[in-house]
Amino acid sequence: MPSAPVLSTSAAPDGRAEALLAAFDRAGYARVAPAILQPAEPFLDLSGEDIRKRMYLTTDPQGHELCLRPDLTIPVSRHYLASPAAGKAQSFCYLGPVFRHRESEPSEFLQAGIESFGRPDTAAADAEMLALGIEATAHYGLDQPDIRVGDVALFSALVAALDLAPAWKRRLIKDFNHKTSLAHDLDRLTISVSRARSDYQGVLAALAGSDPKGAHALVTDLLSIAGITTVGGRSVGEIADRFLEQAALGAQTSLPRDSRTLIEKFLAIRGDPDEAAADLRAFARDAGIALDAALDLFESRTGFLAARGLDIGRIRFSTAFGRGLDYYTGFVFELHDPAARAEGQLVAGGRYDGLLTRLGSARAIAAVGFAVWIERLAALRERS
Amino acid sequence: MTTPFVIAVPAKGRLQANMEAFFARAGLELVKPRGVRDYRGTIADLPGIEVAHLSAAEVVDLLAQGAVHLGVTGEDLVREKIPDVDERVVLIDALGFGQANVAVAVPQAWIDVHSMADLDDVATAFRLKHERKMRVATKYANLTRSFFSTHGITDYRIVESAGATEGAPAAGTAELIVDITTTGATLAANALKVIEDGVILRSQANLVAARAAKWDEAERATARLVLDRIAAQTRARAFREVRTRFAGCDEALLADAKQQFGVEAPLGGPTSSGMLTLHCPPEHVHALATLLREKGAENVVVADLGYVFSRANPLYAKLEAGLA
Repeated sequence: MPSAPVLSTSAAPDGRAEALLAAFDRAGYARVAPAILQPAEPFLDLSGEDIRKRMYLTTDPQGHELCLRPDLTIPVSRHYLASPAAGKAQSFCYLGPVFRHRESEPSEFLQAGIESFGRPDTAAADAEMLALGIEATAHYGLDQPDIRVGDVALFSALVAALDLAPAWKRRLIKDFNHKTSLAHDLDRLTISVSRARSDYQGVLAALAGSDPKGAHALVTDLLSIAGITTVGGRSVGEIADRFLEQAALGAQTSLPRDSRTLIEKFLAIRGDPDEAAADLRAFARDAGIALDAALDLFESRTGFLAARGLDIGRIRFSTAFGRGLDYYTGFVFELHDPAARAEGQLVAGGRYDGLLTRLGSARAIAAVGFAVWIERLAALRERS
Repeated sequence: MTTPFVIAVPAKGRLQANMEAFFARAGLELVKPRGVRDYRGTIADLPGIEVAHLSAAEVVDLLAQGAVHLGVTGEDLVREKIPDVDERVVLIDALGFGQANVAVAVPQAWIDVHSMADLDDVATAFRLKHERKMRVATKYANLTRSFFSTHGITDYRIVESAGATEGAPAAGTAELIVDITTTGATLAANALKVIEDGVILRSQANLVAARAAKWDEAERATARLVLDRIAAQTRARAFREVRTRFAGCDEALLADAKQQFGVEAPLGGPTSSGMLTLHCPPEHVHALATLLREKGAENVVVADLGYVFSRANPLYAKLEAGLA
C-alpha cells in the first residue's frame, strides 16, 4: 500500500506572507477572504471536467455539489460580481489555503494573489500585474525571477485573420489553449472525415457550391420534415450550419499548407518583447495579415513595463506560450526560479476578460490577476 | 481467528439469474439455508465458503476494499468505480453473460455528428455559441472523463444521472449521454444514436479477485477448488466431443484437423486401431465431421461435454499471477 500522502505543510500563513498581503493592501488591493467551501459548478464549468479528479468534492443534503476551493480566482470573481461594486473598477488581494490533489506536493497549500476587475487601461493593468508578481518573488528574496510571458490575443488575432473554415479556427484556438506547445502538434492536426460524409458526399458537394441561405433553408426543412425538433440544446439551425460547414470543408482533412506555414512562422517568434514586436510587425506585413490592434496593445504594454523600471531584455516572450486554460484572453505570464529549485511556477497569471460573462455577468468586464505559490517561495531560502 | 472465504455475487437484476445458472453448471450450487430472502448463503458441497448476495455495485466496493475474496460483477462497474483497477483487483475471466456496451450516444437529429472528432468540434462550437458547456448525462463519470480525455474533448460537463439516463436529452437536462446499451432499442426509442467510435467499453460479467483480501495457503486452496470447477465447465462449454474410429485415422489427419478447425486431442493421438477423441469448437463440428468421413470414417459421434478437468488450472494460474 502507498504511504498516506502529506496533506498540508502549513497550518497558517506566516508573517512573511501576511507582510506581502499588507503590501498589496497598501497598493490599493482590498483584502478579501471568500469561503473555503464553494459551489463546485463554476470550477468544473470553467476549468473543465479534468479538474474534477484533482478536486475535493462533497454534496450537501439537498444534493448540491460543493468543493474545497481549488483556486481563488473564481471565488474572488464571484465575490466581486455579488458586491455593489460589480461592473465598476475594483481590485482585490487574497491569502489563504486552496485544495488540489497533487502527486508530489501537499494537496492543501497557500495561495496569495491579486484580481483586478473593470479597469479600462488594459496595457497599464497588465504591466502592473507582472510588476507586482515580481515584487512577490522579491519579497521572498528572489529579485530576478525567470520571466516567461505570452499573449493569447495575438494567436486569436492570427487565427481570425487566416482564410480558414470555421471548424479549423475552433480547432486551432482550442488546441492552443490546451497544449503547452501547439507547434509540435500541427503535424497531427487533422479534421476527421467520417464514413458518413462519403455517404452524403454527393449531396454535400451539390450544396457546397450553392447559395448559403438556400442551402441552410433546405437542410432545416429536411430536418423538420423528418419530425426532428430541438433535442438536447442544439437547435436545428445550429445542426444545419455545421452540416454545411462540413460540406464546405470537403475532403480536406489536414490544415491547408499556406495557413500551416504561416502558423509555424508565427509560433517560431520569440525573444524579448521589443525584438518579438519587430518580428511580429514584419511577419504581419509579409503575410498581409492585420494584427495591428493586438500588436499595438502588446507594444503599449511593453512601454508600461519599461516605465515601471523592468529590464525588458530579461523578459522571455514566446508566441507559443499559453497557460493551458481556455479562460485567458490576452497577456499571460509565469515567474520561475532560475535555479529551478521549485517544482513549477512561483507566480502565474494573466488576463481573463471572458470569465465574468461566463460567471453570469450580463456585460463583459475586463479582468486580470495572478496567484502566488507561497510554500514554493518560502522553500527557496531553505534550498539555497 | 479464521475468517471465511467469501464470494460476493449480484443479488438481483439481469446478472443474478445468469450468475446462478453459471455457478450451477460449474457444479457450484448456491444455497441459502436460512431462506431466499437471506443475503448470506453457502455452496452446497463446499463448506467453509460464504456467499454474499449483494448489489452489483456493492460487490465492486467490497472487492476494492478486499473485504471479499472473489466476486461476480460487470466489468463496466469495476472500471468505473475502481480508479486503479490493476492495483486492487484481478479480472480472472469473462463469464459470457451480462454483455453490454458503455457508449456515447447523441440525438439522432445531429446529422453532422458521426465520430468522436465531430463531437469534439461540436463541443467547442457549442461553448462558443452558448457560453456554457455541453452536458453529458451519465452514471459512468470516470469512464466518460478518461474516454473524452483520450479524444481531446474538453468542452463538456458531466451531469450525474441516477437512472433513465437515456431520457436526459429529451428532458433538456443534458445534450448527450454515456450509458450502457445492449440492443440499442432503448436508445432508438429515445431518438438517440451511438457514435461510431464512441464505444467506451464492451462489458460483460467477470469473475474478479480482490488483491487486498487475505490470501494465505487456505484461501488459495479454496480458490483453486472453485476455479477448477469453473475452468472445467468453461472448457466443456467451449468444445464438443467428437469421436471416431477408422483405419486411415493417423497423426497426419490429426495435424490437418488441428490446423483447419483448432481441435484438440485431450486423450492423445489416434490409437493403433485408429480410435480418436477430439475436442472441437462448436462452429467447426459439421466441417470436421465431413472431413473425417471423407477420410474414411464410417461414423462420427458428437456429444456435449459435461466437464473437462485438466491438471493445468488456467484460471487459478491467472489468479496467482495477478496476486503476485
